[in-house]
Amino acid sequence: MSAAAQPFSRRRRALLGLVLPLAAVVAWELRARAGGAPSYLIAPSVILATTWEMLVSGELWQHTRASLVRALGGYALGGACGIALGLLAGIARPVERFYDPIVSLTYPVPKIVVLPILIAWLGAGDASKIAVVTAAVFYPTFINSLYGAKGVNRLYVWSARNMGASPLRVFAKVILPAALPQVLTGLRIGLALAFIVTVAAEMQNSRGGLGHLIITAEDSLRFDLMYAAIIAIALIGFAGDRALLAARRRVLAGQTIGKEGGQ
Amino acid sequence: MSFAAAARSVSRWYSVPLVLAVWEVLARTGAVSKRLMPSLVEIANAVWAALMNGDLLFHAGISLTRAATGYALAIVFGVLLGVAMARSRLFDALFEPLFSFGYPVPKIALYPVFIFVFGLGSLSKVMLIFLECLYPITVNAFYGMRGVDRVHIWAARNMGASERQIFWRVLLPGAAPSIFAGLRIALPISLIVVIITEMIGESRGLGYYISYASASFEYATAFAGVAAVAVMGFTLDRLLVWLRNRLIFWERGAAFIGAA
Repeated sequence: MSAAAQPFSRRRRALLGLVLPLAAVVAWELRARAGGAPSYLIAPSVILATTWEMLVSGELWQHTRASLVRALGGYALGGACGIALGLLAGIARPVERFYDPIVSLTYPVPKIVVLPILIAWLGAGDASKIAVVTAAVFYPTFINSLYGAKGVNRLYVWSARNMGASPLRVFAKVILPAALPQVLTGLRIGLALAFIVTVAAEMQNSRGGLGHLIITAEDSLRFDLMYAAIIAIALIGFAGDRALLAARRRVLAGQTIGKEGGQ
Repeated sequence: MSFAAAARSVSRWYSVPLVLAVWEVLARTGAVSKRLMPSLVEIANAVWAALMNGDLLFHAGISLTRAATGYALAIVFGVLLGVAMARSRLFDALFEPLFSFGYPVPKIALYPVFIFVFGLGSLSKVMLIFLECLYPITVNAFYGMRGVDRVHIWAARNMGASERQIFWRVLLPGAAPSIFAGLRIALPISLIVVIITEMIGESRGLGYYISYASASFEYATAFAGVAAVAVMGFTLDRLLVWLRNRLIFWERGAAFIGAA
């Protein structure tokens, strides 16, 4: 319904999109400057100054790195297991039969519930956080890889086989490319989850990391620090998602197979 | 049940008892410390004890109320906002950037701010659940409305349907599968947020129950709490699938995964 009449030019649209966030920031700044605002409403200008200071001193980077190690470590582990097992289950019925009931039973369970138990098993260090992130990332990547591999048009597989392709070749040249868009969708959902779970786990119990920084800053009423950490988390989440989208565009460039469903 | 049907359901479900059996063997033989990995019998006993003294139901009720309130609010506002964005270019231009930029940002980081604004009690948790669930629900409602086949709209218009009829009889049913996909993504999110916020700072709810039990080394009790969350998540998800298949009867059995 967009092409028919376009009352907003691209530029106007972008400007309109800025209205709400800008209005919020300006109102916030004015309210904070006017005085008498609640103490947690620190002026955005002060928050930016603190963020800059922490960036320069390296303190923000230190916490960011701790969070990134946990989030990306768990993401790599969970994503690798999820894709490998998901694709395998998609082409091999016995594997699917084994995993399907377990996954469909445990899928709607928030994986973060086992964090206190994982902490008891693995200690309060990085391992317990990476483990819970791994579990959280595994599910969406597994399910999407499974459906991606299962949804491959049978005709393609038959044609390839008919032309004498070995099973390995069929997998590498037909099934994998055809499943790729959905595998990438699973990876995208998994990345968002990885950051959420990392921050949540760090807030609950950890040494270092952005989630931990938020909680300790809040406890000591250093609201500027708290907002700096929140900004860092928002930027990481956003940048990670955009990087994945860019990678997706590159990987899928020129590929037609697997996209007939429209993405 | 015939023998063949029994064999089929065994081959379909065998892995679940298998995994449980491996757990039991590991716990009983002491390959893993018994305290860390209580046997299923001990966990069942802990569930029974917690059910009998009312702890489990009390905390589960609190978590469920919070999650359901935030989720319901997110459904109401998310669907309204998604529909408004799909129908009005002004709404689209105003809100679309907020949703596309804010979507990948972990909103859970805002919890401390929410505590200050809405207090330490249920309200801050409900509002955070609302915010986290709002995103997938709005975005899916928006794409669902946008994705309605134009031919259907033209056909309805051609047969003399009013704008109102088109909305209720064509657009909304057309968007319904996508709206439900959003609801299914948001459901586990609501549970994640309620559990994690209760773990961070609260003295009630299942999140508190689990982290308290495991901090006091009562792992069987902690597993009882985990089992309660698992049952809750599974039951709610099944309910949603059931409701979806009743309402969207024309697409029953179509793949329904929360992939967005």
